[in-house]
Amino acid sequence: MAEPLRPLVVALLRWTDARARIDPLSGEVETDPRGAGPSEADRCALEHALRIAEAAAGRCVAVTLAPEPAEELLRDALACGADAVLRVDVPSWDSRVPDSGATTARALAHAIRTELGEPSLVLTGDHSADRGTGSTPAFLAAELGCAQALGLVELSYADGELLALRRLDRGRRERLAVPLPAVCSVEPAGLRLRRAALPSTLAARTATIPVVTGSVAAEPVTAHAARPFRPRAKELPPPPEADPRLRLLRLTGAHEHREPPRVVVTDDPAEAADELLEYLRGKGYL
Amino acid sequence: MNQRYGDVSFEDRMSHVDFRVAEQPHIVVDTDVCRSCTTKTCVHACPANLFVPTAEGGILFNYEQCFECGTCYLMCDGGNAISWSYPDGGQGVVFRHG
Amino acid sequence: MRDRAGPASSAVTVAEPERPQFDAIVVGAGPAGSAAALELARAGHSVALLERGPFPGSKNVYGGVVYGRILDELIPGWYDEMPVQRWVTRRQTMLLDGERSMTVDFRSQSWGRAPYNGATTYRAEFDDWLAGHAQKAGAVLVPSTVATRLLRTERGRIVGVRTDRPDGDLTAKVVIACDGVNSFLAKQAGLFPGDQAAHTTLGVKETLALPARTIDERFGVSGHEGVDIEMLGCTQGIPGGGFLYTNSDTLSVGLVLGLQGLAKSGKRPEEVLAELKRHPSIQPLVRGAELVEYSAHLIPEGGYDTMPQLVGDGLLVAGDAAAMCLAAGIWLEGVNFAMGSGMYAGRAASKALSSGDLGALREYRGLLESSFVLADHKKLRKAPELVLSERVQQRYPGLVCDLVELMFTVENPKPKPGVRKLLRASAKRNGVKMRELARDALTGLRSFG
Ligand SMILES: Cc1cc2nc3c(=O)[nH]c(=O)nc-3n(C[C@H](O)[C@H](O)[C@H](O)COP(=O)(O)OP(=O)(O)OC[C@H]3O[C@@H](n4cnc5c(N)ncnc54)[C@H](O)[C@@H]3O)c2cc1C
Ligand code: SF4
Ligand code: SF4
Repeated sequence: MAEPLRPLVVALLRWTDARARIDPLSGEVETDPRGAGPSEADRCALEHALRIAEAAAGRCVAVTLAPEPAEELLRDALACGADAVLRVDVPSWDSRVPDSGATTARALAHAIRTELGEPSLVLTGDHSADRGTGSTPAFLAAELGCAQALGLVELSYADGELLALRRLDRGRRERLAVPLPAVCSVEPAGLRLRRAALPSTLAARTATIPVVTGSVAAEPVTAHAARPFRPRAKELPPPPEADPRLRLLRLTGAHEHREPPRVVVTDDPAEAADELLEYLRGKGYL
Repeated sequence: MNQRYGDVSFEDRMSHVDFRVAEQPHIVVDTDVCRSCTTKTCVHACPANLFVPTAEGGILFNYEQCFECGTCYLMCDGGNAISWSYPDGGQGVVFRHG
Repeated sequence: MRDRAGPASSAVTVAEPERPQFDAIVVGAGPAGSAAALELARAGHSVALLERGPFPGSKNVYGGVVYGRILDELIPGWYDEMPVQRWVTRRQTMLLDGERSMTVDFRSQSWGRAPYNGATTYRAEFDDWLAGHAQKAGAVLVPSTVATRLLRTERGRIVGVRTDRPDGDLTAKVVIACDGVNSFLAKQAGLFPGDQAAHTTLGVKETLALPARTIDERFGVSGHEGVDIEMLGCTQGIPGGGFLYTNSDTLSVGLVLGLQGLAKSGKRPEEVLAELKRHPSIQPLVRGAELVEYSAHLIPEGGYDTMPQLVGDGLLVAGDAAAMCLAAGIWLEGVNFAMGSGMYAGRAASKALSSGDLGALREYRGLLESSFVLADHKKLRKAPELVLSERVQQRYPGLVCDLVELMFTVENPKPKPGVRKLLRASAKRNGVKMRELARDALTGLRSFG
């Protein structure tokens, strides 16, 4: 595919609170917009995007699908050198929307196409800190109809060629030549997002952040399997010991050193009872 | 005897605090100076318990879970044993309640 | 290595900037800084508000109560929009001694209605809210940015600050240092007098989660009502005090410990706090609560006599940076003094900027003196010393508890002894001379009265 005049490099940033609190009783997740931001992987993606856009004499645009408080994250991207930013708003903030990789990808693809044009490269973190399936970039590649390369640790661009490195099992590496246009996701490795200079930071503080409404029909989560997941049995080699008794010991794990459970020992039953009560009280059960 | 249930462990205590760890340490302790320090005030005064005495009489310091309060540099008895500064903007401790 | 702000940092000399980038730079988006920036921005001046944390409040810790009266002037109607946990309607002062305690308990329902008195709130929420007002008025908040050094001309005029960002010098006609207790900027300007360690205390605090209903029941309040408890005699001989405040569904329990006393004691701060939480008067209040945050911060405790110079050439100092925290025993107020001093600093700077005469910055001190900020501090200038004295810290709580215990212990068939006799006996038992007691009572009356 021929290179456009000023190739468009998009960095997708997901707005998450990495220290969300989970209520131990209700399981409800409490997040705090002030502590939220892009994950380390997303920050790496932005740094890659900035470098590649520079090398390709292209335009780097940071995009997020998030509610208004996420503007801070886009201001930071502007300060770091993004040429433009875009916030895709979710009509009434419904946490289920960005929880669906497919819907998120559809909304983002639509917004990118209509607002920014056809991208040459879309970069994002490998998987988000909260949802974590890593499927959004794959869905996005499908939406945009372009190549995908996920979970990369290195990316370099020179003379219209995008080269990538991906980790494989057992310490092996895979070198990829990624055809453009493409969607790539990167691991939080190898580089850190640059620190924004003061003048660009000041400019970004008062910049207006463009917003488009994401055209998403929220899809409720559907369960496909009613049975719990059961991994298949795995074959393991027997222990190497010749003596069957030793093999048995090895298999059962007996005689192996491990952390003993905490046991309260006292000779006096009344004291033991006291201690138990105190323990329960201390834990808030009484 | 019941005291051990009374309080959480120190790691537990610190695990509730959000620290954005910077690449570079913002506090550096010169353990050579500490070796000749007899009081070792920092060891018990630091609320984050970051000063660990070593067997050789020095100090092992870890900057990662620091409250950036300033107690250590104010209390240090070893002259310039501690090079103290705030971490880079946006890094370090982030209180959610405060 | 990048420039960093610390005790060893110093001002840099620069050429006089031709066109300063801002009218004013305010360093620190705590209550002092945001109030200063708000005042300046409202008067139409361009202001940069620098904050080293990722958002205002992220680096800040306090006990838990904001007294909002000064906000009547800054943000009319503040109580309808401020992020409030509970309105304090019940205030206790507790003296602890061993297993005993004596509490003065005051309740006023009117504190729970407009115009209110004090509110518990989290700093991460309160500071963010106040800085938001400064931003709405036009101030430019620059988070995640540390002011590392003052920029100073040959002639000694302060014309801006250096930050830790690349290309990070920022110039202005006036700089207001609201950078909190460690204030490296006031130190770089040479405004700080010596021994800070002697007048600084360490605050440690636990935020403990409990269901709102449990808090209501344990503390005898309901709805938005809250409790404020200040404690003396709970620091195992280390000069200081304790506090316990109620938020909606958490408690804030903490200690304030004199740095030098702490150093001498050889005790760890969180251990002293754990001991307080086991006291029979406190344990039933905090029992079963789950720790959600542990935090620590310094407090300037010296009061009026330890304040730095407040005005430099092109520089004003406000809030904790100027040691304007009132931490005298039954009072632990700093946020209101910070907001007050910040507001007046903003006002003085605004006047100087409008008139083009930077000499007008000197009016700052006058503004403070004719307001509660310095009036209260002056009146209470002897209070910190008294409250942190060995007698108040170690002997008086015992004396009071003895006295009350003797008074209420029924010794039938022996007749009840007179109070004067009991007082003498209690004083003797705690090693307090009646003359000392009378003198301290007089100092106390003069300060607090
Ligand atoms: C344990 C404890 C309990 C307290 N309890 C109470 C209470 O119940 N009620 C009450 O009213 N007061 C209380 N106080 C006092 C109160 O917290 C302070 O007096 C008040 O916060 C002072 O406000 P400030 O704006 O001057 O400083 P701070 O609140 O400290 O704000 C300073 C700001 O400057 C920023 N900063 C510092 N240096 C730099 C730099 N170089 N560059 C950029 N930014 C910088 C900091 O990040 C911070 O945001 C308590 C304090 C403590 C420690
Ligand atoms: S600044 Fe405070 S928390 Fe950090 S090391 Fe020093 S004493 Fe410990
Ligand atoms: S007090 Fe200072 S010199 Fe002494 S051990 Fe601690 S850091 Fe070292």
